[in-house]
Amino acid sequence: MFRITPYTQRHAPAPPGSRLAITFFILYLAYACGPRPTELDLPDTISFNFDIRPILSNNCYVCHGPDSSTRQADFRLDLRHSATRRLDDGSKAISPGNWKKSVLISRVTSSDLEFMMPPPEMKRHLSEREIALLKRWIDEGAKWEPYWAFIPPVKPQVPEVRENQYVSNDIDNFIISKLADHQLIPAKVIDKPGLARRLAFTLTGLPPEPEMVSSFVNNNSPGAYEAQVDHYLESQHFGEQWARHWMDLVRYADTRGHEFDYTIIGAWRYRDYLIRAFNNDVPYDQLVKEHLAGDLLETPRLNVTEGFNESVIGTAFFCLSEGKHSPVDLRIDQAERIDNIIDVTSKTFQALTVACAKCHDHKFDPIPTTDYYSLYGIVESTRFTLTQAGFDNDDQLVFDSLKKDHNDIRKYIVKNVSDYTRVDLPLRELMQFQGPHRIIGDFRDGSLNGWIPDGNAFTNSLGQPIIKGNQLIGLHSGKASSKVMGKGLFGVLRSPGFVITEDSMLFRAAGKNSIVRVIIDNFQLIQDPIYGQLQTHIKSDDLQDYRIDLSMWKGHHAYIELLVGDYRRRKDKGFHEYDLDPQAWLEVEYVIAYDNSFTESIPDMKGLNTNKLLSELMLAWEEEKATPKEITRLNLWFSNNKPFISGLNQWQKKQERRALALYDSSFVVGVTDGDHIQSPVFLRGSLSNLSQVKAPHRFLTAVSDTTQVFQDRGSGRLELAKKISDPKNPLTGRVLVNRLWHHVFGRGIVETVDNFGVQGKIPSHPQLLDYLALKFINEGWSVKKIIRYMVLSQTFQRITEPSQTSLANDPDNLLLQHYPVRRINAESLRDAVLATSGRLDKSMYGPPIPMHLTEFLKGRGRPKHSGPIDGAGRRSVYQALNRNFLPPMMLAFDMPVPFSTFGRRNVSNVPSQSLTMLNSPFIAEQASIWASQLLKEPYSFEERINMIYMQAFSRQPLDHEVEQARGFFDEQKNLLENEVAINRMEFELWKSYCHSIYNSKEFIFLI
Amino acid sequence: MTRREALLLTKNGFGGLALMSLMGSLGCSQVKPGNIIKKLGPQLNLPHFAPKARSIIFLYMDGGVSQVDSFDYKPRLEKENGQNPYDKFKVEATQFNNIGTILKSPWGFNQYGECGMWVSDLFPNIATCVDDIALVRSMVSDFPEHTNANYFLHTGHGLQGRPSMGAWINYGLGSDNQDLPGYVVLDGGLIPPGGLDNFKSGFLPANYQASILKPGKTPIPNVSPGEPSKDIQKSKLDLIRQMDSSFVGKIGHEDEVEAAINNYELAYRMQTSVPELTELLGESKLTKKLYGIDSSNPHLAGYATQCLMARRLVERGVRFIELTCPRVEADRWDQHTGLVDGHERNAHAVDQPVAALLKDLKSRGLLETTLVVFAGEFGRTPFAQGKDGRDHNPSAFSIWLAGAGIKGGTIYGMTDEYGYRVVDKSTSIHDLHATMLHLLGVDHEHLTFRFSGRDIRLTDVHGHVIKDILV
Repeated sequence: MFRITPYTQRHAPAPPGSRLAITFFILYLAYACGPRPTELDLPDTISFNFDIRPILSNNCYVCHGPDSSTRQADFRLDLRHSATRRLDDGSKAISPGNWKKSVLISRVTSSDLEFMMPPPEMKRHLSEREIALLKRWIDEGAKWEPYWAFIPPVKPQVPEVRENQYVSNDIDNFIISKLADHQLIPAKVIDKPGLARRLAFTLTGLPPEPEMVSSFVNNNSPGAYEAQVDHYLESQHFGEQWARHWMDLVRYADTRGHEFDYTIIGAWRYRDYLIRAFNNDVPYDQLVKEHLAGDLLETPRLNVTEGFNESVIGTAFFCLSEGKHSPVDLRIDQAERIDNIIDVTSKTFQALTVACAKCHDHKFDPIPTTDYYSLYGIVESTRFTLTQAGFDNDDQLVFDSLKKDHNDIRKYIVKNVSDYTRVDLPLRELMQFQGPHRIIGDFRDGSLNGWIPDGNAFTNSLGQPIIKGNQLIGLHSGKASSKVMGKGLFGVLRSPGFVITEDSMLFRAAGKNSIVRVIIDNFQLIQDPIYGQLQTHIKSDDLQDYRIDLSMWKGHHAYIELLVGDYRRRKDKGFHEYDLDPQAWLEVEYVIAYDNSFTESIPDMKGLNTNKLLSELMLAWEEEKATPKEITRLNLWFSNNKPFISGLNQWQKKQERRALALYDSSFVVGVTDGDHIQSPVFLRGSLSNLSQVKAPHRFLTAVSDTTQVFQDRGSGRLELAKKISDPKNPLTGRVLVNRLWHHVFGRGIVETVDNFGVQGKIPSHPQLLDYLALKFINEGWSVKKIIRYMVLSQTFQRITEPSQTSLANDPDNLLLQHYPVRRINAESLRDAVLATSGRLDKSMYGPPIPMHLTEFLKGRGRPKHSGPIDGAGRRSVYQALNRNFLPPMMLAFDMPVPFSTFGRRNVSNVPSQSLTMLNSPFIAEQASIWASQLLKEPYSFEERINMIYMQAFSRQPLDHEVEQARGFFDEQKNLLENEVAINRMEFELWKSYCHSIYNSKEFIFLI
Repeated sequence: MTRREALLLTKNGFGGLALMSLMGSLGCSQVKPGNIIKKLGPQLNLPHFAPKARSIIFLYMDGGVSQVDSFDYKPRLEKENGQNPYDKFKVEATQFNNIGTILKSPWGFNQYGECGMWVSDLFPNIATCVDDIALVRSMVSDFPEHTNANYFLHTGHGLQGRPSMGAWINYGLGSDNQDLPGYVVLDGGLIPPGGLDNFKSGFLPANYQASILKPGKTPIPNVSPGEPSKDIQKSKLDLIRQMDSSFVGKIGHEDEVEAAINNYELAYRMQTSVPELTELLGESKLTKKLYGIDSSNPHLAGYATQCLMARRLVERGVRFIELTCPRVEADRWDQHTGLVDGHERNAHAVDQPVAALLKDLKSRGLLETTLVVFAGEFGRTPFAQGKDGRDHNPSAFSIWLAGAGIKGGTIYGMTDEYGYRVVDKSTSIHDLHATMLHLLGVDHEHLTFRFSGRDIRLTDVHGHVIKDILV
């Protein structure tokens, strides 16, 4: 009767002072028998959100809910006006104030097969308690509430608690008052070594160093615990732990899976970004903005020490999906990619399953398909790109001055060219295209023609001096060029989007180790056999024509990408690696699309004479105002006159040297804005069945206070980011504090941490959730502060042993009478093995450690080389996560397969866990290392056992445990006598012992 | 007395019992996991009646076999091939809603056996076993989409998180073999949509979930001990056991820790039982050939090995064995396009091994106590998706059962003339589950577990035993 379950808990505000409950509790203790409430155990106040909606949602909404496609009788029970309106026969389903007049009640209690609800074929029956709840709720006026998660949190009153000894901060008030409601008293506080261990694992994912435990145990000052907390919050390992938690949400992996498991370029830089962000306590709203629109922020956040742009790295978030090699249908591939991004974005930040609204309106939550396709359009308007991760502030300064010197040299040249002849050479017309064609980009006019550059390299070369030694031999014609400031500079130039309507594309380009790509439906993993021709490698010093057949992709959305550097297959690294040669450059004169008949006309050389003085033209050139025709004319003059100007050579060499110094080959995936594309609704999710009306870019209509359409004419990601990071967003703060709570207390206040929707679980402590969410937001979205607050509560410090009453009344410990026992997660378990053996290499950051390949890890895309068995002693967060070759030990211990958001891991129990710990070469090796460490110094037997217990369990051994060890040594000695040389005996014995310690449950479970 | 209360009565709870079992297993044990549960839960007075089946082999046909191309012969499709289905019957929206014309089966059908069951040319070998098979042509599912339909088929519930049927059966009956897990999934290569959650134990204690064995020489990594002798490992395990015992005492009752302790016991025994199992020692060349292990088609050979392994697991008393499909050079049985190629590849890989399994079990007398179930999560449409595919159809599909307690040669239920909808004896997944449990001697209405304030069962509040297909 008192069992607490997520579905039946009561959410009445605590009775004033909770004294009543305490009194009850004393009675309870006295008679070992709780007070008997009314038979059906109804709450004092009935809440629509927590008592009624779950009944309606589970039993009625499939036919009478938000999804219009399955709605029956045009009748809705999710909206009050529909549920209470007068029906055709004059009756009302719900007649507020009188259940006897409410047909809903007569129907759910009827046994007439024609009349009963839910209909007999559904084989659902409401329980007596559910019916009683409905009746009372109707009698009390049938009040509707918007869904709880969409109501902004309101600061709740902190419940008063009489027993102050249980309270460290307000969290305890909320917890204890609810415990009291259920006749429970909180468990006592754990001993200091246990607390030190729990705290270190929770905050850093590592066991505490034995010295830390000792100093805590010996420190009796009142602030001792707080000092421990602050120590671990400031530890560099804090960021590693919480970054790893976050990586579960964003389906982090280093490769793309599918057939060949291509590398996700620089994914690990995003992992490092996360670690830095958590360590530096970057406000969460900032983190949200950076994930969704880090490339669009007006003032990007710069790395504190090195000055590079941190914000843009956050956008790698978009690029961590699986990636298909040669998908048969590019549009389906794009739809799947976007679906994954919508799924992960909505779950991670809003704990909503928006992806359910792909084919139909959400069956349970107020999320119409148009919301899904609003987000779809936002993602479709977003392009994938590479970002030069190491380009920092200093580099930018160098680049700016390089650019300035390029402008200054014109003045210097003009000053030194003192010929003022009148020139009347013919003006050369630009070549014309004959026949039907469409210009995608024409750079001969000196502009970038509306194309969008990323990186620094691309600019128009029109009029740039061509210098040879100290001689000026001519001026560049107009081209989109990456080498004006030097070779090896990173840059991408992308065309506006267009729909392919012509058979062919022609472009004129020159360059070195660079590529021109046609990106169709945002498909980036261009690869033979189907798609190879969409990528043209440019390797010629002179401009050449290249023709591409596009007939296969007519009707598709596309854009052209000019990329300095090259994607190619690299022997040592596998497929699809990007490589920037320090000598790479790319120039393109024009790109046109055309059908069949097409010719280029020979330019008309007929002169149009000009009366301008050469000096006038030179002045225009100096001021960068010369037209392409004038440049051509100047150029002709230069080709005959080639003036010598002292200093040019030196200048040129200097510029080249400085450009070379800017060379940087560190890249990370990310996104950039494309055209504003609005998506039609795919009716029933089908690409061949599109709605006429397109979904405008906007945020979820149920969450946003306004349904206003985004103003931005690009993707609208910045507006999306602002909507999510808005302090008024009812979900963002709650969802995040709930995630943190889940990691600190083993279960979220909302247990379904990734689903706050109607099908998720309702919160066990709604007021506490709101309290924490508001505190979090009001204190600047500081993740560290709110975690600090959680671990400082006494609720965090309780022992794991439940009271009898707790077992009886709340067997699942939803009310947190005691602290849960938890298995240490996969990564921490491995890290703890390394930490105890002494092998742990605490260095941070950097490329992933290649995974150790066993015979079980086979298949396409298998890395060429196996990594070390111990992962070089580095923490698990730094180990490679190749999607097709995920580390078996991590999987055995429930690391999620990275395909969607997993805020809550499974905790499974399979023999592969025991077998790993018992028999894997890795564990055996670590036992050896540990044994060697112990034998380095001439410690006594007891000292060594003591050290082992402190390292492995963070506590001293009890006397009987030392004796137990002694007995084990004797036994092993007998058994090993015939197996090992006498001089190895000591080592083998300690190895055996350490190996056993790794297998003890006290090592594997955190209490 | 509830299970939990019973646990509290023993000093160290379940872990204590498991530890006893662990000690015993190293010496001489009579304690079986099934017995432990029986002692703890009087409501689980199992079996409820004399069982027909001791084990179940569940041949999961991932993606949805087309009923009209396999076991549900529909001559009318030939006559009306290429016609507009909208002119014929009410067409429901399908998952992809790319509805083409009526599509006749590309395969011929013939009658087989004494019962005269129609079987298509996709399954020439299974066709020779029809007199041992009860065919259910009237299956329906609640879900038109893989993930939900898979959860439904495996757990009796369309959403993630419920215990799998194998977990329920293990919870109820335990395993007759202490050296192997009681619920084994033989991974043929394809993990179904919905993932490993199809095989999990949901809210049941974690040790009832499936152990997944991969094909190959070493089906499970780290199954060979590194110690130079068995005794050395045993001595370590003794120490671990002592330490764990104090630990459990210290933290109070905790399911998860106890399950982990249990797990060591099993892992220890698997070190010998698994290699013995999978090396197929003692199997004759003839037997291997019967299954098709010598086939040049690696998918057929692989599935043949899994089928033979399933028989060996049955011999060893493993309660529930599921085989997942091989990864052929086409998609799973999910031919939205390329029906002919995809179905042929999938059928070719499983037909000979499955028939061999039935024959082998029969010749060894094991078919009498083993229930073999051949089922996918739903069927396919009788009209085309696009030109040459078929979309999902949860309104009608065929499955078959053979072996323990099954009346061979039975044809049960009927679909309309297009094989589109069930018209007679509509049979739900719950009915299938109820029947499976029934054959194991379990009344599906009385195998329950208290969760979320409810006594939950595999069949929820539904399910009727399909009596007409039983002996």
